[in-house]
Amino acid sequence: VLSEMLSATVLGVDGVPVRVEADVAFGLPSLTIVGLAGSAVQEARERVRSALRNCGFEVPARRITVNLAPADLPKEGTGYDLAIAVAILGASGQLGSAPVRSCAMVGELALDGSLRPVPGMLALAAAVRVAGVNEVVVPATSTREAATVRGITVVGAASLGDAVAHLVGLRPLPSALPTPLPEWIPPVGTPDLADVIGQPVARRALEIAVAGRHSLALTGPPGIGKTLILRCGEGLLPPLEEDEAVEVSRIHSVAGLVDRRNPVIRQRPFRAPHHTVSTQGLVGGGTRVRPGEASLAHRGVLMLDEMLQFRADALDALRQPLESGVVTIARVDGALTLPARFTLLAAFNPCPCGWRGARGRECRCEDAAARRYLGKLSGPLRDRIDIWVTMDEPEPFGPGARGGESSTAVAQRVAGAWRGQRERQGVANGELTGQVDDNAGLTRRMQATLAQRARRFGLSPRRIHRASRVARTIADLEGSRTISQLHVDEALAYRPEPRT
Amino acid sequence: VIGVSAAGPRGVMRGDSAAQLTVSGSAELAAAADERAAWIALASIPGVGPAGFAALLRHFGSASRAAQAEPTSVVDLLPRADVDTVPALRALTRVGVAAVARRLVECAQHVGGEVLTALDDAYPPSLARLEHRPPVLYLLGAASALSRPSVAVVGTRRPSGYGRAIATEIADELARAGIAIVSGLALGIDGAAHVATLDAGGVTVAVLPSPIDRIYPPRHRGLAARIVAEGGALVSEAPPGRLTGKPDFARRNRIISGLADAVVVVEAPDHSGALLTASSALAQGRDLYAVPGPIDGITSRGCNRLIADHQAELVTSAVSLVQRLGRRPAGRSTAVATLSETEALVLGALLKRSGSIEELLGRLDLTTASLASALTLLEARGLVISYGGVTFHPTLAAKQIGMPKA
Repeated sequence: VLSEMLSATVLGVDGVPVRVEADVAFGLPSLTIVGLAGSAVQEARERVRSALRNCGFEVPARRITVNLAPADLPKEGTGYDLAIAVAILGASGQLGSAPVRSCAMVGELALDGSLRPVPGMLALAAAVRVAGVNEVVVPATSTREAATVRGITVVGAASLGDAVAHLVGLRPLPSALPTPLPEWIPPVGTPDLADVIGQPVARRALEIAVAGRHSLALTGPPGIGKTLILRCGEGLLPPLEEDEAVEVSRIHSVAGLVDRRNPVIRQRPFRAPHHTVSTQGLVGGGTRVRPGEASLAHRGVLMLDEMLQFRADALDALRQPLESGVVTIARVDGALTLPARFTLLAAFNPCPCGWRGARGRECRCEDAAARRYLGKLSGPLRDRIDIWVTMDEPEPFGPGARGGESSTAVAQRVAGAWRGQRERQGVANGELTGQVDDNAGLTRRMQATLAQRARRFGLSPRRIHRASRVARTIADLEGSRTISQLHVDEALAYRPEPRT
Repeated sequence: VIGVSAAGPRGVMRGDSAAQLTVSGSAELAAAADERAAWIALASIPGVGPAGFAALLRHFGSASRAAQAEPTSVVDLLPRADVDTVPALRALTRVGVAAVARRLVECAQHVGGEVLTALDDAYPPSLARLEHRPPVLYLLGAASALSRPSVAVVGTRRPSGYGRAIATEIADELARAGIAIVSGLALGIDGAAHVATLDAGGVTVAVLPSPIDRIYPPRHRGLAARIVAEGGALVSEAPPGRLTGKPDFARRNRIISGLADAVVVVEAPDHSGALLTASSALAQGRDLYAVPGPIDGITSRGCNRLIADHQAELVTSAVSLVQRLGRRPAGRSTAVATLSETEALVLGALLKRSGSIEELLGRLDLTTASLASALTLLEARGLVISYGGVTFHPTLAAKQIGMPKA
């Protein structure tokens, strides 16, 4: 006898519907799972067997075959347990003869039949909706996570018994209320710009970078506040918009990083991986593809402190997301695309010892060593960084002594600039492609000025386009519809140093 | 027939021990040519430095005889002989002096260069009088550039923006007063001096630590080509193909100071190679000048010490340096620039003193944004330059406009 139950799996950060088919036939008693089932899925046999027995069901002493379709998609994880158990019950006639509810089931089984949560519930619930089924039974603890997805009824079950009772209509479970978009609570414990001594240029650059989502690189000797300034970026980020919040929450849910009771993330991600991170850890990958730091920073900030200490291949892997906002991971069975549209905030020393070009201290690096060090930042990667600032020790009597603006004041300007961008073009200036044009307030005359300056400074076309977008952000921070020469000139002040 | 250079062997020998000969017949001419070939060949032997070469001439009377002598007796006279010396001398006897010399001349000619020996008329007279003059020079470019009134401008390979700006200003001022600039083609001050000279339409001479067929540093290959194309010259005492080692850098410094009438050290920390040039300048009786720097930094410590020890004269301005050298500074055509109030304010502040954005914010009542955009505009107009992105300096063009009335 044949039976089928819908479940789902996560591929990258997207859910994919998986049909679980069970067949109970005459033969030697066995339970076989086919359909490229990985080791965690193979172990489902033991969990399912115990859970069925402990819930008062019977494991038929027959030859049981479970197939997971599509059969050519490698499957990992424990989310199929519930669906496998129910499919076996159906195939062995333990669900009765009446038609059962049309629904999907996702969840891991404990040996006593209770249901345990699995990561990526947001993506899984969305996949069920795609498959055309409008109800999903999930572990009770995952209800709020799954109910974030609109357009599908979510039912939380505490155990296999509850799920089956609901399925056959014996004891229907209530459907969960849609999880509301939570209020945004500003992050606490992030450093404040008011604590930064001096460095007016770097502060300003950070404000522009965060406001327009432009990538930023700070360079300068150690101990002058590069890291502190970048860390201040977290406190300047505006909350995620609703569409972004769902997107980001789904990625974090797949990585198992969401709070199951408050699954919707409102705070923009701020990821600061350590420089020893592997390429896989940074951009994602592995046999069972997990989102990397770049994807976890989607719609937020990826901060790379001591950027040149990162592995060269890891840095190079950032080229694609910086340009196109996605990471493509090549796998044996095809390529997988993960979203990774982040703002890069980077800092690095100008040479291995850190003192090259600084006042007052001597650089002790060999020229060749210093060149090799900077060479880690490949040309294409340099080209993709919009804003460059070279820092030096703060002036003892400089404006830093007067005390700088607080993060709150700057965050207000950033939020205003972001609203302006969203209304005008829907995305941030840093996410635009090509040059900003007439429609975005860059007049013909200013385009000519920009081109002329670019010739003077020997800038590539790509760099000109980037400068035009930075100028757009500077104008947005001022609330100006048009881009003036002052905006263009300030944008060009953040161009990279020519390599000598 | 040996490869005859543009200068060619003439009848007059200027060797220490060689008597003055007058051309009286073809036999003597041929003997002179053989001796010249022996100079080229012998000077290319590893371990035969200028001092060793002089010792050989004193002992054997001529290079030809030294080249034919038993290698072991030759080595005893060489203060810097190394393991390669004897095998090279044996190879020289085996292959023959003429063949070795011809090969070296051909190698030089292959890259468009030529060979000058101290026997030749074209050999720069300023070097001829030196105690440790290079017996043989390899030259790429105009030999006449070596005989012009010249000043050496040298300094550290890692200059501050200040050092770069001053090197540029001094080289520019000297070049426009008709003085050739000699330097070492190194990164940093040397390169800035060469570039400023060429930009001012002047003639510049680069003394290389490496052979002329292996320009060092490679990053200045383009600059080297420009020096030659614009009437200057590259000079080296290293034979073509020789690898460059640390001592070669110190050794070429004496040629830099030797070629010049005066030496200006623009910026030099302690232990800078430029200080070696300074001490050889003093040993050779050249006038020595040094540009002072801030005493709380390390980049000018060597210069400041030269001044404090009364070894170098203090340079107060590029114009005064030209006057001290007995030249009349060339005037400048005054340009008029239209600047906005903010730009004039910023440029005025920078003309008083170079500074970073942060430092300027302390002096001027401006926002970071407006200051950053004003500096970009001034940079685009060529009135301000920033080396390394932190400190901004007024350019030569800005100085000629003078202090704007803000």
